[in-house]
Amino acid sequence: MTLPLSYSLRNITARKARSLMTAGVIALVVVACSLFLGLISSLRKTLVSSGDPRNLVVMRKGSDNDGSSQLSLEAFQAVKYFDGIARDAQDQPLASPELVVQPFFHTLQGGRENVLVRGVEPVALQVHGDVRIAEGRMLNPSSAEAVVGKGVMGRYRGATLGSELEFGHGRWKVVGILESGGSSFESEVWVDVRELANDAKRPFPYSGIRLRTANGADMAALARRINDDPRFALEAQPETAYYSKQAESANALYVLVIGIAVLAGIGAGFGAANTMYAAVQARTAEIGTLRAIGFSRGSILWSFQVEAVALAVVGFGLGAVLALLLARLIGLLIGGIAFGARTFTTNVITLHVTPSDLATALVLAIVIGFAGGFGPAWRAARMRPIEALRKA
Amino acid sequence: MKYFSLIRANLGRNKLRTALTAGAIMLAVALVCMLLTMPAGMDAMLASMTSNTRISVHNKAGLVYSMPYAFTRKVRQVDGVAAAMSMTWFGGAFEEDGRVTFPNFAVEPEHVGEVYPDYKLDPQQLADFQRYRDGAMVGRQTMKKYGWKIGDRITLRSTVWPVSLDLRIVAEIPNDRSGILWFPREYLDQALQAEGRPGLGIAGMMWVRADDPNRVNAIMRTIDDLSRNSEAETASETEKSFFSSFFGSLQGLVTIVLIVTGLVTLCIIFIAANTASMAVRERSGELAVLKAIGFTRWVIFGMLLTEAALLSTVAGLLGVGLTLGLTAVLRLVASGSEALGPLGSFIVTAPVIVQGTFLSLFVGMLAGLVPSWGAARKPVVQTLHEVF
Repeated sequence: MTLPLSYSLRNITARKARSLMTAGVIALVVVACSLFLGLISSLRKTLVSSGDPRNLVVMRKGSDNDGSSQLSLEAFQAVKYFDGIARDAQDQPLASPELVVQPFFHTLQGGRENVLVRGVEPVALQVHGDVRIAEGRMLNPSSAEAVVGKGVMGRYRGATLGSELEFGHGRWKVVGILESGGSSFESEVWVDVRELANDAKRPFPYSGIRLRTANGADMAALARRINDDPRFALEAQPETAYYSKQAESANALYVLVIGIAVLAGIGAGFGAANTMYAAVQARTAEIGTLRAIGFSRGSILWSFQVEAVALAVVGFGLGAVLALLLARLIGLLIGGIAFGARTFTTNVITLHVTPSDLATALVLAIVIGFAGGFGPAWRAARMRPIEALRKA
Repeated sequence: MKYFSLIRANLGRNKLRTALTAGAIMLAVALVCMLLTMPAGMDAMLASMTSNTRISVHNKAGLVYSMPYAFTRKVRQVDGVAAAMSMTWFGGAFEEDGRVTFPNFAVEPEHVGEVYPDYKLDPQQLADFQRYRDGAMVGRQTMKKYGWKIGDRITLRSTVWPVSLDLRIVAEIPNDRSGILWFPREYLDQALQAEGRPGLGIAGMMWVRADDPNRVNAIMRTIDDLSRNSEAETASETEKSFFSSFFGSLQGLVTIVLIVTGLVTLCIIFIAANTASMAVRERSGELAVLKAIGFTRWVIFGMLLTEAALLSTVAGLLGVGLTLGLTAVLRLVASGSEALGPLGSFIVTAPVIVQGTFLSLFVGMLAGLVPSWGAARKPVVQTLHEVF
């Protein structure tokens, strides 16, 4: 015979202040963990979702990122006509020569950050399939015009549609806003590739090439052919691999969050155990009575365990709402969160607490409730009915 | 103090509860301390590595822009400049790995001693660094990370220049927070020329030491005026401001860390307050008796408050101890794995220990305040009435 669920649930409301306090502790742990998890998943999403699975990144051998690579005009001219590269309607290869420079941008608050400025040709929009102009228009070739990513927009001086942006040695007119579904291109500024090379006085016109492989073509074979070309020391890799390598920087953060979750979880578990022990103590007579009228040990154990887990779930509910509100508040107050990467560029990410972050937090809360409730429930189940009744 | 034994006995009355509460507070304080080491570590790094007479000179447009090497000679002639050294990013990585895992630069060994007199460099090592064409000076953090010794040889392949350099470690920067590697710029220059390149005509940036802290601002202005309207206009700033803005991009993360720290602190208050209120509720009869036999409400209030504060302070101290142990373990783990490297940078500084301890004391008092005051204020008759 089991005790009805409502027995466990009503007990939670019997001591409102104490239950609320315990649920509050669990809620705070949930908030802390979901915020951190949200931060990491947003960062990873930004980096991992960047790049098109059909694209190759071509850089100088030995470079670990766009910013440190250099490429000659001859190398581009040669690679451009390799077999296996997709072509557009005019039969031009979808090969985008690009130059990356990371000048200082000045934030509205007076700080400065290295922002990735990408010099491109019009073909770039076709090669980077997920990038589109959300507002305004694409920049005109050979002009001092710029399009800025959504994350850059409004964060730096002059980074608004129609105004003049100052970086490098010149001034650039902002004519459009880039959108790429949250990937790292939204933290970039795009300008004309030749204008940028002039401004930065680079000895080499490009830093890398992005290639779209043709439908049905063998990407690995194309990459091998580029790597093996003896004329230019080049290295090609899938664009997705390039960005996921950069996402590895988030791994240390993961360990950090797991550590926080474990420490805070155990602490909250202790708090929950305290409350449940007190509940068991206060209800000694009741438990004795239940045993006397025929409820088994198992059902008592179960009922207290359910109560503890239910308490934890209430805590999770509070925490989840709070975490979502806080994430929104942080977004409103400090806008995007900037991450300086090793590659000397700033990724501006928007903090989102996703359902999967909340699911992880829910599991944590249930574990806290279960572990914290087990000791007290065990004690309640082991009570001998006669003694319990006598104490009362 | 005469009530101390009573307070202690009360804490021992429900040992399990006291232990659970102490455990929860201990973990939370440890967590707060760990989180605080992040911003604190940055401050400590700024304090230990920067000098108020050193100036950073770099291209106004950004750190990836350079300036002509010849400009360093002009800067050395500026009145009040004691010494100046150029520093150019090499971006060297291990061949097998391909990723830059510590900062490495081409510098001018003959000026290192003059620009960094505060680094406490070993004179013999400094002399070796100036003598060997392929010598390298390495910060202790990186030395430890890879288990290098003076005399070891390493090869770094540049991610920026098309060259690899064989280096011989001849000197150490005796600072645990320094991860930098320096080698002679001459060596890179010759390697580039051997590749058929025009050689290293640029300087990435420059570090300048002023002979007098009061002249720093004037010197910065003079240097920037010297480069005005040239191909590479410079922006000078103090060493401290340079590193602060270098860390500036971590500000967002630090904000989140501080918010989470605040939340965890709230957690401790809840847990401690919960325990205090349970203790007071269970003992209400006894407290009424104490009052009936003549204990004033202030004594009772003080005793309950001390009980809460004592519990959380002891737990807090344990938490600080736990932090010290955890960071030591993290450093061990991190030194073995590249991906976890950043975790090794948790360094518990004295301010963090003090903050953790005071936090637990403060939180204990705050948590005990409401229940203790409630118990002390309740009229005796009413309480006794409730009990009997």
